Amino acid sequence: MTYTELQAATHFSFLRGVSSAEELFAAASLLGYEALGIADRNSVGGLVKALRAGETTGVRLVAGCRLDLMDGASLLVWPENRAAWSRLTRLLSVGKSRIDRRKGEKGQCFLHWEDVDRWSEGLVAALVPDEADEITERGLAETAAIFGDRSHLALTHRRRPGEAARLHALDAMARRHRSRGLATGDVLYDSPDKRMLQDVVSAIREHVTIDELGFRRERYADRHLKGPAEMARRFAAFPDAIRATADIAERCTFSLRELAYQYPDEIVMSGKTPQDALAMLARSALAAKFPEGPPGDYADLLEHELGLVARWGYAPYFLTVNSIVQFARSQKILCQGRGSAANSVICYLLGITSIDPIFHKLLFERFLSDDRDEPPDIDVDFEHERREEVIQWIYETYGHDHAALTAVVSRYRTRGAVREVGKALGLPEDLTGTLSSQVWGWSNDGVAEKHVAELGLDGKDPRLALTLELSRQLIGTPRHLSQHPGGFVLTRDRLDDLVPIEPATMVDRRIVEWEKDDLEELKIMKVDILGIGMLGCMRRAFDLLSQHKGQRLTLASPEMQEDDPAVYDMICKADTIGVFQIESRAQMSMLPRLRPREFYDIVIQVAIVRPGPIQGNMVHPFLRRREGKERPEYPSRELRDVLEKTLGVPLFQEQAMKVAIVGAGFKPAEADALRRSMATFKSTGGVTHFRDKMISGMIERGYEADFAERTFRQIEGFGSYGFPESHAASFARIAYASSWMKHYHPEIFCAALLNAQPMGFYGVAQLVRDARDHNVKVRPVCINASRWDCTLEASSNPSLEIEGRNLLPLRLGLRMVKGLANDHGARIAAAARDAPFTSVDDVWLRSGVPAATLEKLADADAFHSLGLDRRQALWRVRGLGGTPLPLFAAAEARAEEPAVTLTPMTDGREVVEDYRAVQLTLRGHPLAFLRPALDRRGITPAAGLAALGDGDKVRVAGIVLVRQRPGKGNVTFLTLEDETGIANAIVWQRNFEAQRRIILSAAMAGIKGTLQREGQVIHIIADRLEDLTPMLHEVGAMQFPHRPGPADAARNGGHDPREHPRRAEPALPGPRDGGMRIRSRNFQ
Amino acid sequence: MPLTKARILVPGLDVRAADDEGDAAWLARLGLFAARRWTPRAAVSGADGLWLDLSGGAHLFGGEERMCERILAFCRRLGFSTRIAVAGSAGAAHALARFAAGPLTLCPPGGEAAALAPFPLAALRLDEAVLNIARRLGIERIGELIAMPRAPLQRRFGADLLLRLDQALGRAGEPFDPIVPMEAPAILLRFMEPIATAEAIAEASGEAVRRLMADLARDGLAVRRLVLWCERVDGDVQHIAIGTARPTRDGAHLHRLLSARIETIEPGFGIERMRLVAVRVEPLGPQPIAGALAGEAPPPDLAPLIDRLAMRLGVRRLYRLGAVESDVPERSVHRADPLGETSAWPAWPRPIRLLRPPEPVEGVMMVLPDGAPMRFAWRGRAYRVAAADGPERLYGEWWKRPGEADALRDYFQVEDEEGRRFWLFRRGDGGNPGATGRSWYLHGIFA
Repeated sequence: MTYTELQAATHFSFLRGVSSAEELFAAASLLGYEALGIADRNSVGGLVKALRAGETTGVRLVAGCRLDLMDGASLLVWPENRAAWSRLTRLLSVGKSRIDRRKGEKGQCFLHWEDVDRWSEGLVAALVPDEADEITERGLAETAAIFGDRSHLALTHRRRPGEAARLHALDAMARRHRSRGLATGDVLYDSPDKRMLQDVVSAIREHVTIDELGFRRERYADRHLKGPAEMARRFAAFPDAIRATADIAERCTFSLRELAYQYPDEIVMSGKTPQDALAMLARSALAAKFPEGPPGDYADLLEHELGLVARWGYAPYFLTVNSIVQFARSQKILCQGRGSAANSVICYLLGITSIDPIFHKLLFERFLSDDRDEPPDIDVDFEHERREEVIQWIYETYGHDHAALTAVVSRYRTRGAVREVGKALGLPEDLTGTLSSQVWGWSNDGVAEKHVAELGLDGKDPRLALTLELSRQLIGTPRHLSQHPGGFVLTRDRLDDLVPIEPATMVDRRIVEWEKDDLEELKIMKVDILGIGMLGCMRRAFDLLSQHKGQRLTLASPEMQEDDPAVYDMICKADTIGVFQIESRAQMSMLPRLRPREFYDIVIQVAIVRPGPIQGNMVHPFLRRREGKERPEYPSRELRDVLEKTLGVPLFQEQAMKVAIVGAGFKPAEADALRRSMATFKSTGGVTHFRDKMISGMIERGYEADFAERTFRQIEGFGSYGFPESHAASFARIAYASSWMKHYHPEIFCAALLNAQPMGFYGVAQLVRDARDHNVKVRPVCINASRWDCTLEASSNPSLEIEGRNLLPLRLGLRMVKGLANDHGARIAAAARDAPFTSVDDVWLRSGVPAATLEKLADADAFHSLGLDRRQALWRVRGLGGTPLPLFAAAEARAEEPAVTLTPMTDGREVVEDYRAVQLTLRGHPLAFLRPALDRRGITPAAGLAALGDGDKVRVAGIVLVRQRPGKGNVTFLTLEDETGIANAIVWQRNFEAQRRIILSAAMAGIKGTLQREGQVIHIIADRLEDLTPMLHEVGAMQFPHRPGPADAARNGGHDPREHPRRAEPALPGPRDGGMRIRSRNFQ
Repeated sequence: MPLTKARILVPGLDVRAADDEGDAAWLARLGLFAARRWTPRAAVSGADGLWLDLSGGAHLFGGEERMCERILAFCRRLGFSTRIAVAGSAGAAHALARFAAGPLTLCPPGGEAAALAPFPLAALRLDEAVLNIARRLGIERIGELIAMPRAPLQRRFGADLLLRLDQALGRAGEPFDPIVPMEAPAILLRFMEPIATAEAIAEASGEAVRRLMADLARDGLAVRRLVLWCERVDGDVQHIAIGTARPTRDGAHLHRLLSARIETIEPGFGIERMRLVAVRVEPLGPQPIAGALAGEAPPPDLAPLIDRLAMRLGVRRLYRLGAVESDVPERSVHRADPLGETSAWPAWPRPIRLLRPPEPVEGVMMVLPDGAPMRFAWRGRAYRVAAADGPERLYGEWWKRPGEADALRDYFQVEDEEGRRFWLFRRGDGGNPGATGRSWYLHGIFA
């Protein structure tokens, strides 16, 4: 009988265990274990990773859990079979459901002996004792009473005085209670050198420094994984305790693989199997789409796909997604599916996606190939602000017992690790702050010693060196579970029979303990319900279109499907402000070179301007080939098939995987592992392994070493940023739809964008300015004319018809007024529709909103229709007094007031106040007031740049809209705006340091430099910058409210709003108000 | 501007935290000095100012202007930059001191309105909310405000605006909270006849202590440090000082402590005045008596004993041993304040006596890797082990010294055939001898 370690904790025992399952299993395999038991504290969160690690190393996982009960007792339990596993997950769910979020409790588990008793069947248990005293005696009595012959008492060598006596007493006690002693190692890490890291995480857990930690350290020695022979030697006096471990390992053969996926029952058509129901739905949809009989290729593809679905039994999954989408449609919530399965003809026919795979020749190989043993993946994007309705519907329909969100394991990254380890080692906070400022927010490489030297710090200082070393070790360690923004797990049986569920931080949300990869590994079904702001914008645009122009459209309408040359002309001119995805500076500068002419061009455009392809050095080869300056190279026929669509350059994740399969002979599962290893943490080791395999595989197949090397680098560049083709296609569809809207109905598009704020890349000022440039007449916020949303007004003047189009005037809504509450705005708008307001008193009395609200409206100059300017209106509002009750008395008092003359505002001040209150102005641009002064300085307006030639020396000035420092930071892009347009400047690194302060802090800057012209794109290469912010303050004789665009890196942390379109976090109040400062991630 | 942004703007920025408490303490000291030196009525004004009431006092310093110049010069010597304004109302002085051009402004009587007119409203000590409204209405300067009708202003701004305006213009009064200098509680005894004997001095000091205790009891204070000054007929001054471990008003106890030192006083031709000063006092209210209601005897109070021992031995020689939360035996004990709190002692047996440093032992026989020694030799004598317990494995504290990162000791309690018990340890984990070897040491002896 050999010893099996059954009490090993992974780092999912948060801030206690410090080894990953992979490390533990690798060590176990080396030490010669055949099985290893993982038992984390009140959690099974790390078990799927352990399962995978076990299968890789050939060491069997004995799934278990350590239950810490409320009375202080600790119990190790291992399920014998699937039914016992379900009882364990139910038990954990019960304990976790007892946390009280109002008390800020998170992640705890409150369990009592009664709970254990209730769910104990089929579980093998061992009590973890301290001393052999009456406490242990009581606990053991309970354990023995509950578990009978499955009851054990854990014996662990703690390496403290009197250990032999303690173990002897415990063993005797176990016999008294007819339980067995069980030898365990109480393992916290895989190898002895992790002891320091373990001390540090204890300090982090206790929120103290390592010096103050004292006896809160782990006090028992030898917590690493020891070999079976060594354990047998230590427990030579207790041979039965060693035998007991083997017995448990033999008895508990439950494997997580038994949790086979199962899809929820869809009640579509009674008496039909899901497959029949799906086939019928799809076929009738096909017939409805083509009343004269479907074209052959549609019917063929559909039958082929239905065959695949039947073979893998995926029909219920499609039906589930279908019913979610049907619900959204019934509530008029715009949605769009994407993902590997979304671009099937089934999804197209069912309306899950609006991309016609045949019309656009998008025959996605990735969808359901025979060798792909992986559940299909469909993500559905919904309108950002109505996603909650869909989520609530899912809970109602499937029930809280069958639906929960997937978890996201947040792990330590460099910054967090340095901060926490530094704190635990007692480094001052500003020092750790400075250290972590040396790295990008998402880095996982730790702080390099050279950074420390650059900061002028002594890298040899022991504490500092320890901090760097230990923080590097800590990176990748999970710190807690949080909720995935929209990943739903749906099951037929109770979900808590599969996996423990715990309440999330948000009310009414519950999360399972496993993250996306874990669920995928176990083939548990998951649907991503995500929010996209632009879908909300498009729904509004469609509504306005049908309301004002009588045209009823959806994303699936022919107008959105057929390529319209006029729309592409607009896109080629980079006239894309406000359009989904292709509106950023980088995208816009690429558009004139890429010159999209058809739908697939946009798909490429969406995918190419991303960190992955840029780091993989794929953009320039592609552009050269696209422009015909270079011929695509295909070293083999197979690769030609894979890469022809993208001119020989792998742009999409699918292509990268396919290249590995076709070119280097990877199995599909290996290719998938490659994709995953590129995306995960501490990837270095894993990727190197794949690199050798891939390059040697390609050379074997006759490719040149140089080509193989280059291909691998390209794929490596993808990292986690790789963009799947199906996602790009889905985004391109929305991008095209928004371009269409912008081209034909700029006023509707602008109104919809303003009503859907906050979203996108540009601030409202730029959006409104762009609309006005497109001949949209924009009218100011008005107490009598504005509704809450921005609206279109009937055009009384037919002469507004321009270029044969009748553009309706756009009325800014009350929502534009800073700080105005929605219900107050609605009350005012409702009262105004009754009868127009005639005075400030009238507004106050009829709308019933507080005077503070009226003040905000006065600041927004909304009373101008009453003949009152800002100050006069404010004077009236301030004179309203506290309570509107003594009506006549108050009115009399006001009537008797002596007249007061207020100084009128200057024009410049009016402009600045406009910016303050509604974030934009319809008067003049602030720089128009400064133009004479700027002329005297020899500054060229932005509109005048087009007349200059390449290489001309030039000076420009403007309000700083966006500062970006992409990639490695050799270059900084500045966008300046003046009253005539926009000027783009480039600051090279050698100039950056000298100008740093101006670049980072100036609201208005002047730039002296050289004009560079490339095609239609004009840049100014900056030599010198000048801070002109004081001039800007002169305009209004006050501080100018500087609000750079949402994409500005210096102010908003450089978070490209398009980078995570899938994240649907609640709108942050902030970046625009200047109230929230997010640390820049681009600036090092 | 957030600090992080400043750091980005100016790399290598030297950041120091604002010391508000320190500033306030300095200002209070300056105010106290002003109250003693320049005017009987002085007060601290906000975080950055002092009020001095010059009524009827300025001529002592050569007139207002001369006086102000002297104050300016005084502050300059201390390293402060100072601005002074003299006006007929506190509000006007406040505004002029902060907004006028030069460091010294003298406002002629009745000239407040004219002097304040060009200043922004911020000079009036108004809330930010009020200032904000005024700005939005375009009322920028005090002059504009003075010219406006009062009733509508009152309606729109509330009473505060007009009150502050009136206070500045001298139309409304303002409360003034002057600094009262606080003296250390003291008792002065004058003797008709100089006293010279120890008994007389003891009796007199006893009287002084009694009176002082009565004063302190009235003020709710208690003594931590007491100094007795004895002025001799020949002008020489002798003093003795005592301290207590805990604030006390126990006169008898204090007198006992004083008496123990009286012999160090050299009375010479006699002492004519005696001054007892409580140089350090702390508040002391009524104290609960533990266990009194339950009828139990209260635990004995160690403080008087400690005071008396400290008198004899010196404060530094008096300590108690406390446990430190450290597993390294050398660091597990520290000297603590006699009345301070200490951590609990660990549950495991530890020798009563530690050898410092541990002494090497030889001739150790044991079973690898972690068996207990069966015999060893220490200080030239061989011991045979009859019973042993161990190993207890203790790691070095790697965060204290880099060298301790890999340090490891296995401790054994052993008993020899004659019943003597020792604490032995072996360096290293008993496996690979490695760099540290497998040397053995004796670290302690059990009683």
